[in-house]
Amino acid sequence: MKRILSSVTDGKGFDIGLVALPLAFLFVMSGLPLVYNVVMSFQEVDMFSLGSFARPFVGFRNYVDLFSQPETRPILFNTALFVAASIAGQFAIGFGLALFFWTNFPGASWLRGLFLVSWVMPGLVVGAIWNWILSGDFGVLNFLLRETGVIDGNIFWRSDPNYSLWAVIIANIWLGTSFNMILLSVGLSGIPKDLYEAAELDGANALQRFWTITLPMMRSTIGAIIALGLIFTLQQFDLFAAITSGGPNNTSNVTQYWAWDLSFRQYDFAKGATISVIMIVFVMFASVVYVRSTRHEVRG
Amino acid sequence: MGFRRYAILGTVALGTSLAAFSASAEDVTISVWSLDRDIQPAPNLINDFNKLNSGIKVEYRQIQFDDVVSEAMRAYSTGQAPDIIAVDNPEHALFSSRGAFLDLTDMIAKSSVVKTENYFPGPLASVTWDGKYYGIPKATNTIALYYNKDMFKAKGLDPNKPPQTWDELVETARKLTDPAANVYGLTFSAKANEEGTFQFLPWAQMAGGSYDAINSDGVVKALDVWKKIIDEKLASPDTLTRSQWDSTGTFNSGNAAMAISGPWELDRMIEEAKFDWGVALLPVPEPGAERSSAMGDFNWAIFANTEHPAEAFKVLEYFVSQDNRMFKDFGQLPARSDITIPPTGVPLKDTALKVFVEQLKYAKPRGPHPAWPKISKAIQDAIQAALTGQMTSKEALDQAAEKIKAVQG
Repeated sequence: MKRILSSVTDGKGFDIGLVALPLAFLFVMSGLPLVYNVVMSFQEVDMFSLGSFARPFVGFRNYVDLFSQPETRPILFNTALFVAASIAGQFAIGFGLALFFWTNFPGASWLRGLFLVSWVMPGLVVGAIWNWILSGDFGVLNFLLRETGVIDGNIFWRSDPNYSLWAVIIANIWLGTSFNMILLSVGLSGIPKDLYEAAELDGANALQRFWTITLPMMRSTIGAIIALGLIFTLQQFDLFAAITSGGPNNTSNVTQYWAWDLSFRQYDFAKGATISVIMIVFVMFASVVYVRSTRHEVRG
Repeated sequence: MGFRRYAILGTVALGTSLAAFSASAEDVTISVWSLDRDIQPAPNLINDFNKLNSGIKVEYRQIQFDDVVSEAMRAYSTGQAPDIIAVDNPEHALFSSRGAFLDLTDMIAKSSVVKTENYFPGPLASVTWDGKYYGIPKATNTIALYYNKDMFKAKGLDPNKPPQTWDELVETARKLTDPAANVYGLTFSAKANEEGTFQFLPWAQMAGGSYDAINSDGVVKALDVWKKIIDEKLASPDTLTRSQWDSTGTFNSGNAAMAISGPWELDRMIEEAKFDWGVALLPVPEPGAERSSAMGDFNWAIFANTEHPAEAFKVLEYFVSQDNRMFKDFGQLPARSDITIPPTGVPLKDTALKVFVEQLKYAKPRGPHPAWPKISKAIQDAIQAALTGQMTSKEALDQAAEKIKAVQG
């Protein structure tokens, strides 16, 4: 008894406890819902069997039904486009800003902090603001574009099927840029200054220094940011709810909004779960990239 | 001595707790869920009811609009449902078709308070499933045509002759549309949610269609009219993403000359609209055609697994007996044709309410069908596919009909 006790307070038992506690937490809080979700995608679920776990299994029927719906392919394509464009935009602008503030002019760190305002605002508030900015008749964006002569007539960002997805992408880029910037700034500040001094002595110009020092040194940071970006954009729901509701005719619908719509608007919980499972596969992929890129942390 | 004192104290305590127990055993507790806030009917009626000390104690819980159905389902399937719930009328059939709600037909037949002939046909149809009554309409609303009388005068139109038919509506909208002044002829909502269906279905029904005949010729014509309105920019293209509330906002600010919306707009309009306005019945396909309109708002129902069906029904009877306070105290329209709406003293509002009450006679429920949200989604997608020019009205509605057929099984 005493040995067990002492092993728990100081020894192997303590180590096991350290591992078991977070594992148990993860299993209960994440593992079980995940498994439940996967199981549900193979079952016939309706609102009255929601409370029980013993539901008829239907094999892959939910998956087959899902892919026979005419809107499925466009929505999957929209999701891919939304994720790719959002990450590209957030990363490019975020990296640009990070490099800009890296030059350390007076007030740089103070301004950099201010940029985080967009990141701390709740998604629905951001959505409501962008809803006004992107409004066709009286929107600020149309006004600016008209006054600068870029467009002649109003663009109906939210309601034109050619622009509706881009309307949400623009809002999402604005929302995520500052987060990218902060993480990239941290990465930049970790690069030892003497590398640049040495390169400068060797006669490398700014562009060469960027390609041969900054980018390679930032590899793990960039990998982590892109993986996190993929996860965050796949979770982006508020903006769709606030700006387009997935319309017109699903042209701005993406899997995460669709899963919610199927489960909680149309009460088709099995299909909602099926879409979530498909999304889990992609998020898992992103997580592997994230874990791998942070494991190979290079320290100069 | 000490022991005896404690014994006496103990007996007294036991006695009082027994008395308390027997007193509370007389009271039956009925739980009620609805989305009404403190200024809305349910909590107030419940307070008044509890003051009557009728031996029934009512407990109230407020739930959010988005959670009503999922909360109710979860509670019902785990055996923790309340006795009484208020559900949105298109979702009533989902519960009644599965026997989750109590069949009230016999109780209503015996009741001296709840009389089916007092109700508008639309709300009553929404609580009906398979010829039986599974609930009682709580309140109701519908949509009609608001129009800006000042703009009518400015464009040489008779402000006392609002458009009666679809052709007249389009023609009037053309005359009123003034891009230079940022004025659209009409505003309504074709949003990708229930609101789009709510606004379009009356048009389909007036043309002789319905949700299970969504690709009939009349409905195609109705959608073509909508498309004409959007294509000619008689209404803003943002009609596809704007809610009814936001759309009518543009009417109030003078950026649209006519608006299709419901009586929930009245108070805001009286406050915001700086012009003379009126309300007309929804235009019909051609003179003399059948009228129709949308029907909104919630119904009361009793869950089938309640332990006190008789007491729960008594509570509902009390709610119904207070229907004449519905408008005066809470600004909601009772679903009853036998109650006259008392004048508010605001002339604009009173004339408008008369039109809405008239329009309520023609209001039809959405469904009733247990899978209404899926049917609704098919209709929304069709409307938007046609209005954005991705499909013709016929193609879009054919696709919707196919989806609806699949839902119906």
